[in-house]
Amino acid sequence: MEKVGILIEVKADQIKKANYGVITAARGRDRQLYAFLLDGGRADHKLTLGRYGIHKIIEIAGQEGPLEWNPATWAQAVIEAMEYFGIRTLLGLTSSQGKDLLPRIAARLDAPLVMDCIHLNLAEHTVRKPQYSGKTIATLKVQGGHCIYGVRPNAIAAQPAPCEAETVIYRTAPAPAGLTVKAIKQAMSAGVDLSEAEIIIAGGRGMENGENFKILFECAALMGAAVGASRAAVDADWVPYAMQVGQTGVTVSPKVYIACGISGSVQHFAGMKTAGLIVAINQDLTAAIIGKCDYAIVADLFEIVPRLTRKLQALDGRI
Amino acid sequence: MQIYVCVKHVPDTAAKITVKAPNQIEEAITFIMNPYDENAIEEAVRIKKRRGDAEVIAVTLGKPAAENTLRSALAMGADRGILILTEDPPDSLVTARALTVAIEQDGTPDIIFTGKESIDNAGFQTMYRLAAALDMTVVSNVAAFALEGKRVVVECQMEGGARGVIELSLPCVIGAGKGLNKPSYPTLPAIMQARRKEVKRIALDSLRIEKPSARADILELKPAVEARRAQQLKGSAEEVVRQLIRILREEARVIE
Amino acid sequence: MNPKYDAIIIGAGVIGSPIAYELAQMGYQTLNIDKLAGPGAGSTAASCAIVRAHYSTEDGVAMAYEGFKYWLDWENYLGHVKDEKGLAKFMNTGSILLKSQGHDWRKVKKHYDAVGVKYEEWDNQKINAMVPVYDLHEYWPVKRPEDPAFFHEPTQMLAGALFCPEGGYVNDPELSVHNIMRATETKGGQFIFNATVVEVRSQDKQVLGVTLQDGTRIDAPVVVNAAGPHSFKINQMAAGVWEGCNIKTKALRHEVMHCPSPEGYDYLNKGYHTSDGDVGIYYRPEVGNMFLIGSEDPECDPQEWVDPDEFYAGQGGLGRDNQLTEAQWKAQCYRLARRIPTLPIPNQPKGVCDLYDCSDDWIPIYDKSDLKGFYMAIGTSGNQYKNAPVVGAMMAELIDACEKGLDHDQQPLQFKLRNIGRSFNVGFFSRKRAINYASSFSVNG
Repeated sequence: MEKVGILIEVKADQIKKANYGVITAARGRDRQLYAFLLDGGRADHKLTLGRYGIHKIIEIAGQEGPLEWNPATWAQAVIEAMEYFGIRTLLGLTSSQGKDLLPRIAARLDAPLVMDCIHLNLAEHTVRKPQYSGKTIATLKVQGGHCIYGVRPNAIAAQPAPCEAETVIYRTAPAPAGLTVKAIKQAMSAGVDLSEAEIIIAGGRGMENGENFKILFECAALMGAAVGASRAAVDADWVPYAMQVGQTGVTVSPKVYIACGISGSVQHFAGMKTAGLIVAINQDLTAAIIGKCDYAIVADLFEIVPRLTRKLQALDGRI
Repeated sequence: MQIYVCVKHVPDTAAKITVKAPNQIEEAITFIMNPYDENAIEEAVRIKKRRGDAEVIAVTLGKPAAENTLRSALAMGADRGILILTEDPPDSLVTARALTVAIEQDGTPDIIFTGKESIDNAGFQTMYRLAAALDMTVVSNVAAFALEGKRVVVECQMEGGARGVIELSLPCVIGAGKGLNKPSYPTLPAIMQARRKEVKRIALDSLRIEKPSARADILELKPAVEARRAQQLKGSAEEVVRQLIRILREEARVIE
Repeated sequence: MNPKYDAIIIGAGVIGSPIAYELAQMGYQTLNIDKLAGPGAGSTAASCAIVRAHYSTEDGVAMAYEGFKYWLDWENYLGHVKDEKGLAKFMNTGSILLKSQGHDWRKVKKHYDAVGVKYEEWDNQKINAMVPVYDLHEYWPVKRPEDPAFFHEPTQMLAGALFCPEGGYVNDPELSVHNIMRATETKGGQFIFNATVVEVRSQDKQVLGVTLQDGTRIDAPVVVNAAGPHSFKINQMAAGVWEGCNIKTKALRHEVMHCPSPEGYDYLNKGYHTSDGDVGIYYRPEVGNMFLIGSEDPECDPQEWVDPDEFYAGQGGLGRDNQLTEAQWKAQCYRLARRIPTLPIPNQPKGVCDLYDCSDDWIPIYDKSDLKGFYMAIGTSGNQYKNAPVVGAMMAELIDACEKGLDHDQQPLQFKLRNIGRSFNVGFFSRKRAINYASSFSVNG
């Protein structure tokens, strides 16, 4: 029986949906799935994780309670848990947190690591991932005593496979990390996280100014969507860099990407081309995005987006 | 103090990528310095300007053409460069070992900067491996950096625009994010000066690095297929929005 | 029955559209056919859209000066049409022609005097008062950065400039063509897009119409080749046309760079369009406080003649496709950096790469052809954007006159420039001409 560990991410006591795709990718014959949680055990995830095939939930905690967020101690604690349970394969998300934990773990174990996987074959030790800003797909083979994989959020569809999950508490006292987390500064507008959103509505040069992004936020709130932006909008200082989707911004894979007034440069596509469905709203018929999306709406976004918002409000019973 | 900055020579983001051999791309395209490495160089040079006693050394591993990117780093203010030459760029494990050995042979790093990721292979890991090999602390995706004595305070970009304020001490490895600074580009006089700065060339083989037992090899590269067939939604604004709602609900199933 | 028009114009760029506009106003039922998705989406969109008067021939200067008057009065030219996308704007920055060995500025000055172009003579002190960032040393001859001599320290100074207060650029060339399309539509003209012409049909030396890739046949007694970089391919489709031209056209690859302005210098709002033959480039402001740097095609630079279809498909390979090259990025930015030593030069090339429809002597062909009913407005060689409205009027008059029996080859049409009131021998642009050695053989025309 091969044991596979999955580093689960939790937000506001909820398992982030994107984890289920990772669990789906990890499943296989004669494989036992271990979910590593470091959320302090505030909620019971037995049912939700069991539904996707997790056998053991390992609640990693300190000797006297939850481990406060610290990427170095968390990484160390996961390594200790892997050793303790005899786990040599670890999967996680290529999210902000995953990008800080998985490479720390891989580096400490001197293990190969592939981030941003969109397809995994654990039996063969092969994975596929986009390279060169999504212009090519690479197939990699990894070899090593331990193997670590980061999965691109939402790139692998989640499929339930119910089983009975058991919770085990693993206590550890990781050595001092050499770095101290002093504070976490929350963003001004705490919306849905871009890299995990199922729907993203993004604005570009066609938004004309920062003020106009308001209409995207209004629309997004009704769909549970995150709001993104093109580099043009960020360079113009209309919205903060954290909202930038693209080559030098966030890479996203939502189910639906609605691009408003975005011309669709190669660099922008690099960040969103794996979206399930791309809808482009652009007045300019010759904009690159019009030929490279699934649905094109050649019209004024200031006509379309507020109408969409009103329709969604009506569906929501607010009108 | 010595500040090392690891930079990478990568295809321009706008370049057309063609797969040549099974796991190689056509390299007769425009290459640039990895964009995040520009932020790394910029921050190192700012420290040097503030303190006066720092030396900034740019390090890269690659083919001879990677010297162009080293020269760019020198023009942006680095003092000298180290070019680890190889015709066959290795995986992250070997790359990190090579950088580690080259840096250790060269001097005593107080800070090592890298970009938070390279835009070609997007491995996200070299800075962590360097830190592990050199037994240093490491933070990445850094959006703010302050140095006071031996104490470093950084802000790391987290999800949803949040930032973690983290304190660590020298020596350390820092993965620079885009928000860290706005790189100031070199003028022609600076570029001309950079042509005369020292670049040490070392063959990868001559570093005699310890071969890792683990590895990650690229078996195959394939062009990504762009299979989208755009369909235009037509009609009045009202009709178009109605169609869009239907698509969101029935096709994508993202709204109820 | 095939659909029938009075005139088909192949191409809906900045040359094809004004021709249709003028013909439509004369009562012709016109159809523009373009292989791209919208008007001006091809090489027009990549045009630097510079409006300046200096040309190497007097007629060239006259035509450019006439063109300037159109851009100045854009709304009026368009018949005050409403365009939902807004109107393109002419940015009158004024235009500096540095006196250098790279330009025959004495000849230009003579032409200015003859045509009546307004200009001032600036000495170096005046230039520096107006543009403090320019270093006015002489760097001639033009070199590439690969040449060690590029970095030699200069010893001589330039000797001032000719400054035209009337000149600048159009801020959105693609939009300007959209404007013309909307104006043409009000006169009954039609446009179809995403339609590729594969055949020019003719019988008994008279053009009959065209056939599209999807098999559609469209008839017209008049067909105009305004296909830009594809012009030579269209000419080859029409019986006897290509063979009947003494001057041929070819597609030339050309890179234009965008480099940020030095910190603290508001080039966008305070800068001038400048022709700098001393270092072989021209520059004008671009959105984002950038310098847009075009090349004046110095002899030391490579010329890549390409197949336009391969080029646009990105299949030519390094230096032959539609992507910027590092070598040319450095060449053009470094050249500007000699003039502006404080210029910051990013590591990543930024700009556009597109094609010139280049003629053998860099002077256009505005003419009839050896096939009756088939006309050409081609070989614009990267320097005719500014003239496009004039070309529209001139071509319409030429077509109408020839269709009514004028033998243009024997008795060339005399065209009167509407705004500056000067007459002009259209035979100057004849396909049958010998190569015009008065030309600069560059984008300067």
